[in-house]
Amino acid sequence: MLSLGALLAGAALAAEPRFEIRNAFTEPVAGVWHLNANIELSLSEDARGALAEGIPLTLVLDIELTGERRFLPDEDVAELQQRWQLAYDPLSDRYVVTNENSGEQATYAGQEEALAALARIRNLPLIDADLLKDGRRHEVSIRATVEIGGLPEAVKMLVFWRDWSRATDWYTWSIKP
Amino acid sequence: MRRWVPVAIGAGIVVWVVALALLAVTTRDTQGFVKLQPWILMVNAAGVLTLLAVLAGRFIELLRDRRRHVPGSQLRTQSVLMLSGLVLAPLLLVFTFSVLFLTRGIDSWFHVEVRQGLTDALGLSRAALDLRMREYLARTERIAEDLEFEYSAGLFAALDDHRRLADAEELSVVSAGGRVEAYSASNLVEGLPPPPPEEALLQARRGESFVSLDPIASGGYAIRAAVPIGAESSLQGRRVLVAMYPVPQRLADLAEAVQSAYQQYGRLSYLREPLKISFVLTLSLVLLMALLAAVYGAFFFSDRLVQPVQDLIGATRAVAKGDFDTRVPRASRDEIGYLVTSFNEMTQRLARARAEADASRHAVENERTSLAVILARLSTGVVSLGHDLAIRVANHAAGDILGADLQARAGESLASVAEGQPLVAQFLGAVRPHLEAGQMEWREQFTLRADSGRRELMCACTALPGEGGELPGVVLVFDDITQLLQAQREAAWGEVARRLAHEIKNPLTPIQLSAERVRRRLLGGLAERDAELLDRATHTIVQQVEAMKQMVNAFSDYARAPAIELASTDLNRLVREAADLYHAQDARVNFELQLDPDGATIEADRGRVRQVLNNLLTNSLEALEGRDRPVVTISTRRIAMAGGSCVELTVQDNGPGFQRELAGQVFDPYVTSKPKGTGLGLAIVRKIVEEHGGRIEAENGPAGGALVRIWLPVDEASRGTVGPRGVRKQEPRREHA
Repeated sequence: MLSLGALLAGAALAAEPRFEIRNAFTEPVAGVWHLNANIELSLSEDARGALAEGIPLTLVLDIELTGERRFLPDEDVAELQQRWQLAYDPLSDRYVVTNENSGEQATYAGQEEALAALARIRNLPLIDADLLKDGRRHEVSIRATVEIGGLPEAVKMLVFWRDWSRATDWYTWSIKP
Repeated sequence: MRRWVPVAIGAGIVVWVVALALLAVTTRDTQGFVKLQPWILMVNAAGVLTLLAVLAGRFIELLRDRRRHVPGSQLRTQSVLMLSGLVLAPLLLVFTFSVLFLTRGIDSWFHVEVRQGLTDALGLSRAALDLRMREYLARTERIAEDLEFEYSAGLFAALDDHRRLADAEELSVVSAGGRVEAYSASNLVEGLPPPPPEEALLQARRGESFVSLDPIASGGYAIRAAVPIGAESSLQGRRVLVAMYPVPQRLADLAEAVQSAYQQYGRLSYLREPLKISFVLTLSLVLLMALLAAVYGAFFFSDRLVQPVQDLIGATRAVAKGDFDTRVPRASRDEIGYLVTSFNEMTQRLARARAEADASRHAVENERTSLAVILARLSTGVVSLGHDLAIRVANHAAGDILGADLQARAGESLASVAEGQPLVAQFLGAVRPHLEAGQMEWREQFTLRADSGRRELMCACTALPGEGGELPGVVLVFDDITQLLQAQREAAWGEVARRLAHEIKNPLTPIQLSAERVRRRLLGGLAERDAELLDRATHTIVQQVEAMKQMVNAFSDYARAPAIELASTDLNRLVREAADLYHAQDARVNFELQLDPDGATIEADRGRVRQVLNNLLTNSLEALEGRDRPVVTISTRRIAMAGGSCVELTVQDNGPGFQRELAGQVFDPYVTSKPKGTGLGLAIVRKIVEEHGGRIEAENGPAGGALVRIWLPVDEASRGTVGPRGVRKQEPRREHA
């Protein structure tokens, strides 16, 4: 039984497509630091099938902002999480991307367009520039996680050998106001 | 097996059952338990692994026991296999049917017709909405035609009118640059209206009408249409009319329901295979746990069944080896428990019986030991004889009195022991007639004749019950009363001697004086013949009176018992002096002296010892009268005993020896074979020897002639060791060898 589970998990891992943060940067716009990022988001056939069957996909972006301190551990300046959901609407035959933090919603005719829109993060307000000390070095780290959502947790646990969630490595860069 | 293991296993099974129950609850998606699910799965997995490990250990133990032929291992194997088989068959049956039911049931849920029906329902919904969309698109195109030449303020008013007439939610005109030129909505929002989708604007700018069904964030749907307004203008570019129409509520609800069912079905369809595998795995897990628990249960019950049997086997072996303290713990109250209780009671009774037997044996042994000590210390001889006259028990004194080591010959017949042992033969001759006559209780005094003298025995016989089925025997108790009788005789003779001395000695002097007076008065006045007669007669009277005086004096000496005066005396010197004296009297006799070169000094009354030597040598010389080559051999030697030392003095001649009929009576007063003897010489010798704590024996030597042996203690401390038969008890050895 356990060996069968390991076999299934191994097969799922073997077919992993690329999922990583291609690039990211921050820029101050009108006194607010904004985040821009491009994510390489390719879904496996299994995930695409699940999406087409009406199972939503959730992209979670974890953002951490720390301030460098001498002789002391770095200060946690800000920590936030953004969640988007991509779901197929069979009645309209459209893919709907919903920002779960703001409630904004956009629809796309095709899966690719919807995934491209999801992977492209533009002008996400990060922090008020006044909250960052001038001349101090800060580090921004982001990590994206994509989850096959919308299923009961119990079902996920029952089919525990499936990879229901994947995460990128932390992508870190520094800014100096 | 250790006691905590079943408890731990029982607790594990309880946890496992609870975990399974929780697992069943989580499949209903109860949020509280969902967080516990990993732990629940871990508990299940840990339970399986633990049970596997425990069972592997038990199987190895069972195989090892079988290989070593441990008692009960076969019974345990059979019971484990039987119980496991009994559980395995129905479990596998249930498992097979459950898996078939689950897989086929799940497959039947996703039957092709169901999917087709849902797809058709969705298509129907789309068709209904398409009809409405085309209608709204046509309506939008008409509005666009009307607005071709409307700009600025007129555009706003026209837009408002058209929106109301067309039942649109909102209408907006977007310029070629993407700017909203005019906007009309049934519900005005603050700020700028949201921009229409890029996709719609692009299509409309290409001159093609666009219509789509858009899901709304707040729920429900809206129909969005984008239509180019008029012909493309090179100066201003083509404007686009974007309209949003609400979907009728009834239609929206129905479509939503269809879509929801379709999506739900899609999700389940996607999860069909994983769910099947998951359920089968869960079922397998449950089966495995149940199976392992059942096998463990089989071990547990076989243990409960076999353990008492094993305990009983072990305890039986221990009892067979004599360990009656073995107790088997009572594990249950069933028949096995009853058996165990009975076994324990039996061993208790056995232990009690053995303890009593041991106590009895110890008591008997103690009594025997005490009896042996008493018998050993008795001066009375005790001999126990079987019905066949075999010696069962004899004490040392018995052997001493009868002159044979009866203890060493226990088990032998008294008749066979009597061969070559004259005293034992005489004893048997005295005893046998009574026993053959069937007399078991009698008492008799008889005399044994030995070379060293007579022995008077007082013997009592008592019947003994037979042991272990043997016929009854007898115990003979006898005592050497020779000394006692001797003492009585001596006392009587002493009294006689004293009376004789008193009664006879007194008239002797007047007789002698009278005879001398008669001789003096009458001798001168009588005729020669008469005078000669008178002279002879009075001389005879005087002579005989003198002889009688000597005799009376001898009796007086015998009766008198003055206190002896002990002093260190060299016996060898006294012997030499006596030998010289008597050699001077009769030079014909050859005296051979064999004196201990290490000296023979004793504590004794010198005068009395000298009298002993004189009496013995006088007897020897008298016995040697008329003999050719008369020889008197005198020897001394010192003998070491356990409690002291003594000196043995022997005087032997080569005369005729003691008369056989006088054996045993030579020391009695007035017993003599000499015509002139008083019969008091040896009696006085023995009296003196016994006064010194010594011992005397008289017998004929191996080559004939009288042989007198005397043992005298060297000092006061050695007196007790020499007494009657004292010397014989010890193996004589030379000191300073």
